[in-house]
Amino acid sequence: MVEVKNLTKHYGHVTAVNDLSFEIRDNEILGFLGPNGAGKSTTMNIIAGYLPSSEGTVTVCGHDIKEDARAAKKCIGYLPEIPPLYPDMRVEEYLRYCAGIKGIRRGEIKKEIEKAMERLQLTDMRRRLIVNLSKGYKQRVGLAQAIIGDPDLLILDEPTVGLDPSQVSELRDFIRELGKDHSVILSSHILGEISAVCNRVVIINKGELCAVDTIDNLERKAAGETILNLTVEGDQLAASMVLDGINGIREIKEVFEMGGDTFFFKISLEDEKVRQGIMSAMVENGISIVEMSMDKPDLEKVFLDLTRKKGSHKKSDNK
Amino acid sequence: MFSLYKKEIQSFFYSPFAYVLSALFMLIFGFAFVGRIVNMETSVFQFSFPDMFYNNFFYFIFIIPLLTMRSFADERRGGTEVQLLTSPLTIPQIVLAKFFSIVTVFIFMLVLSLFFPIYVSFHGTVIWPSLICGYVSFFLWGTTCIAIGMLISAMQSSSIIAAIIGEIIMEGFLTLDLIGASKMIESNPRLNSVVTWFSMQRRFVFIAQGMFRLEDLVFFLSLTAMVLFWIVLYIEKRRRSHN
Repeated sequence: MVEVKNLTKHYGHVTAVNDLSFEIRDNEILGFLGPNGAGKSTTMNIIAGYLPSSEGTVTVCGHDIKEDARAAKKCIGYLPEIPPLYPDMRVEEYLRYCAGIKGIRRGEIKKEIEKAMERLQLTDMRRRLIVNLSKGYKQRVGLAQAIIGDPDLLILDEPTVGLDPSQVSELRDFIRELGKDHSVILSSHILGEISAVCNRVVIINKGELCAVDTIDNLERKAAGETILNLTVEGDQLAASMVLDGINGIREIKEVFEMGGDTFFFKISLEDEKVRQGIMSAMVENGISIVEMSMDKPDLEKVFLDLTRKKGSHKKSDNK
Repeated sequence: MFSLYKKEIQSFFYSPFAYVLSALFMLIFGFAFVGRIVNMETSVFQFSFPDMFYNNFFYFIFIIPLLTMRSFADERRGGTEVQLLTSPLTIPQIVLAKFFSIVTVFIFMLVLSLFFPIYVSFHGTVIWPSLICGYVSFFLWGTTCIAIGMLISAMQSSSIIAAIIGEIIMEGFLTLDLIGASKMIESNPRLNSVVTWFSMQRRFVFIAQGMFRLEDLVFFLSLTAMVLFWIVLYIEKRRRSHN
């Protein structure tokens, strides 16, 4: 769907984006993560055709964004961070204008507007002036202009900023729905949002690519070792002896009493599968398990690890 | 391109903007008209419309920056420029759509001003060829100034600042004509020829008086085209060096 190859952007002597390469597959929601000033918006603006790149190529639906800009732009729906709205226009009138500048055929404009308004529940607002709409509805109108004409690629730059929790939840559901038949690039500072919605993520820092992978793979790679948190009820010595006798346990990193006969063990495992053996051995020796959980690093840890490594260039692509 | 043109026209006519400026234009025209009637030395109700256009020249030149100030500056400030530049429209199409929409408002004003010659035709005599020359010269000169006003708007993100700079530049054009007519410049033929070549007022008067010279037509049309091309280059350059 989209192929970004060796993308570089210089602003004078400053390099905003340096040698970025990744791809966006058909019907996939790709999360775009990076701290402020990482080059996210610059990259999205280049993919959308707003800014030209200094070096490298961007191909959208087989069309080069520089050489064949018109055809490439027809495949893109873009919602910038600030929705591009005219406050003195009515919702329907604005969408008609958007359909017109996108080159949608006159006979199809009405149908496309109705479809977009229906999908974003704007039908009741069609005659309202945009200036009088709430922030949430303005964001919906912004999204409606992006999806009008059913473009194959949607670029959404922080679409949930400033919305209340219920609006955020609705919008996430809508983006998930869009991902079924569109490719979506979603930029957000909210890591939970990226985890909840995206299939894969691109993490960039200081204009350089840190990682491109699925969230699960990134979390697994960031984990380094497999840690099991085990809370048991019974004799501490007996429990320690049982653990010593199990193959696949590297070390018991931490033990402390939680009160009464309850003890907490932090255990480093060679493999996640050893968990099953621990459970059986404990049961066989009459030690009851109160709680058992794996220490799993979340996307936040992955993000912080990757972006704190200055100039890191750890590409873990699972293409 | 037509959608953008239509949107621009709507933004003029759905707000009081076009009507206020048209009313101002009619007021200026009305003052010139009444002044002419008051000063009439004969009882024949016949007077020169090119002279009236010439009087309006000095006032209307300050209305033009108000017409053009929003064209690009508002798009930049409101963040809608991103939408235009990521749409399948090309930059020349965007510039032309905006230019034609402002020219349409200008034509609307000129059509309103037909009230005066029509009124005269009921009570006296209108010299139609002279009137047509007046309109043609006013139109050519106006479209050139519109292109210049749009260029200033493209360079600004505040429409108010675009209007102020526009007024200063329009004042500069009038000053250039005054400088050209001064004794000091007239005594230096080479300098005089340069200053008068750039003088829009002199060319305006030639056409208004019925002296259609190819040189003047080419001047207005080519200057308009050049300025529009400059706008395209400027937007493209800003897009490349965007920070």
